[in-house]
Amino acid sequence: MSRRYSLSIVQQKESVVGIGLGIFLLMLFSVGPTLLSFDPGATSLTIFSPPSGMHWLGTNDVGQDIFSRLLTGGRSSLIVALGVGIISTLLAVTLGSWAAMAGRWADKLIMRTVDILLVIPNIIIIILITSYFRPSLALEIIIISFLGWLEGARVVRMQILTLKERAHIYAAKLFGASQFYVFYRHLLPQLFPLMLFLLLQGMRRAVFIEAGLAFIGVVDPDVISWGSMISNALKFYYLEVWAWWLLPTVGMLSLSLLAVTLIGYGLEEQSSRSGGKKINAADS
Amino acid sequence: MKNKLITYLAAFIFLILLNFFLPRLMPGDPLLAIYGQEAALTLSEEMKKELISEMGLDRPLPVQFGLYLTALLHGDLGVSYSLNASVWSVVGRTLPWTLLLVGSALILSTFLGIILGIESGWHKGVKRDRWILFLVIGVSGLPNFIMAVILLLVFGVQLGWFPLGGALTPYSGWTGIQLVGDVARHLVLPVTALTLAQLSETVLLTRSSMLGSLDSLYIRTAVGKGLKKYRIKYGHAGRNSLLPVTARLGVSAGRAIAGALFVEVVFAYPGMGSLTHHALLSRDYPLLQGIFLVMALTIVLANILADRLAFRLDPRLRED
Repeated sequence: MSRRYSLSIVQQKESVVGIGLGIFLLMLFSVGPTLLSFDPGATSLTIFSPPSGMHWLGTNDVGQDIFSRLLTGGRSSLIVALGVGIISTLLAVTLGSWAAMAGRWADKLIMRTVDILLVIPNIIIIILITSYFRPSLALEIIIISFLGWLEGARVVRMQILTLKERAHIYAAKLFGASQFYVFYRHLLPQLFPLMLFLLLQGMRRAVFIEAGLAFIGVVDPDVISWGSMISNALKFYYLEVWAWWLLPTVGMLSLSLLAVTLIGYGLEEQSSRSGGKKINAADS
Repeated sequence: MKNKLITYLAAFIFLILLNFFLPRLMPGDPLLAIYGQEAALTLSEEMKKELISEMGLDRPLPVQFGLYLTALLHGDLGVSYSLNASVWSVVGRTLPWTLLLVGSALILSTFLGIILGIESGWHKGVKRDRWILFLVIGVSGLPNFIMAVILLLVFGVQLGWFPLGGALTPYSGWTGIQLVGDVARHLVLPVTALTLAQLSETVLLTRSSMLGSLDSLYIRTAVGKGLKKYRIKYGHAGRNSLLPVTARLGVSAGRAIAGALFVEVVFAYPGMGSLTHHALLSRDYPLLQGIFLVMALTIVLANILADRLAFRLDPRLRED
């Protein structure tokens, strides 16, 4: 099922563009920073230099090479996106299916927790926590993931509750399969398309939040991030530096989000077109 | 209904617990953590002693928590050292601006979102639908502060149509209609940024419930009766599609308030978002905690109001 699925997603025009863009950015941000001729953190005396052969996107207010910072910032976003995407998807699948399989008090406890934690927007709680830690990327991943599984767990739980009623699950149980075997052998494989969707959703959220936190300045100042680049560049909007400082950063951030959004959109279109249950996770 | 109230109450208590425990569980001197390094260093020994006994920092945690709650119940949010004023007075000054910004954006995005959602659902699969979806998803796919930066660069810096920041022209001495116009002019860009960021959810929600409505029998009846197109579209199918949007209004309000945190910073709008930014930069923790507490309270109240509204509009909710 998942194989057929992964093939059919490519038929969607949006996904093809999104995947192409995604692969390009992935290469750029993973390999790019290692090829740079400038240390992105190193300051110099040539400040506010316009783009040149040496500094492709010029330099900023303390003489740092903007192009190097752009790529390194991309790497920060990529690391946080992958980290948060993977951890929060795993948490969502574990807790969501646990709630659905165990039922009773475990179900009540987990779903109540989800309801409660969703009342106040996550970003507020995340800012509050990070303000005390000024976290590095690793800690940031943990803090964002800690609240990143909530909506996913709801969707996974619903999905499992529906799947559990199918005949082949009853058959498996009748033959003496344990709860865990039924989940692992019969239910989990059917969750793969949903997991892919949750992964993308989580990555998108993570890029949003990472940039937002850096933008308002609650993360470790040594972390190079698009968010902090934008907030720094914004201070000089009256100079013409915005054209090669602010604009490329905003563009890169938008392009990355676009890639993820397109893949997700194609995935959703495909799943609703192939007659499957529409994946319906509230947009973060 | 009662269930929901308990959930809101629990969420609020969760934030209070977070506010209480976060600084006290940090390594090192709790007084430094509660007031922030910078502020605590300027305190004299006597003031430190006074604060320690006031908050009971030399006593066990349950006693401290009791003192903390008592202070909260008296409306005492502490003192902001960076602004030299009580947190309550500072937050109270900024809250109206944020409410104005968020309220306007919420009304606009709901209104626009419903219309676009109805149009998009009615014309499902046709060019118009695809364009609306493409624009809405593309535009709302960006973080709100990116949206704000783009609007600021284009309409503020390049075209010069709108002021670059603030909520009022300082020392203008305007009153009456001129003052209102001035406030409105300053409001345009931030509200647009926030509205665009909020829009997609309402559009998608209205669209999907519109699709559901269009399949139902009462629509076929309406078509059979020979009613005019716009009456079916807005009067029959559209009106029913309002319900899910109303039901999620509380969530949207919360999200808009969180969005204002960032949008206000871009436009230096003097609301709670800019105040949060100030609190973060000066590490003024009592101020930060106070802001988030008031924000949480506002969000919970908005949720309760939205629930009541949905309850009145949808008789089906009353039956459970």
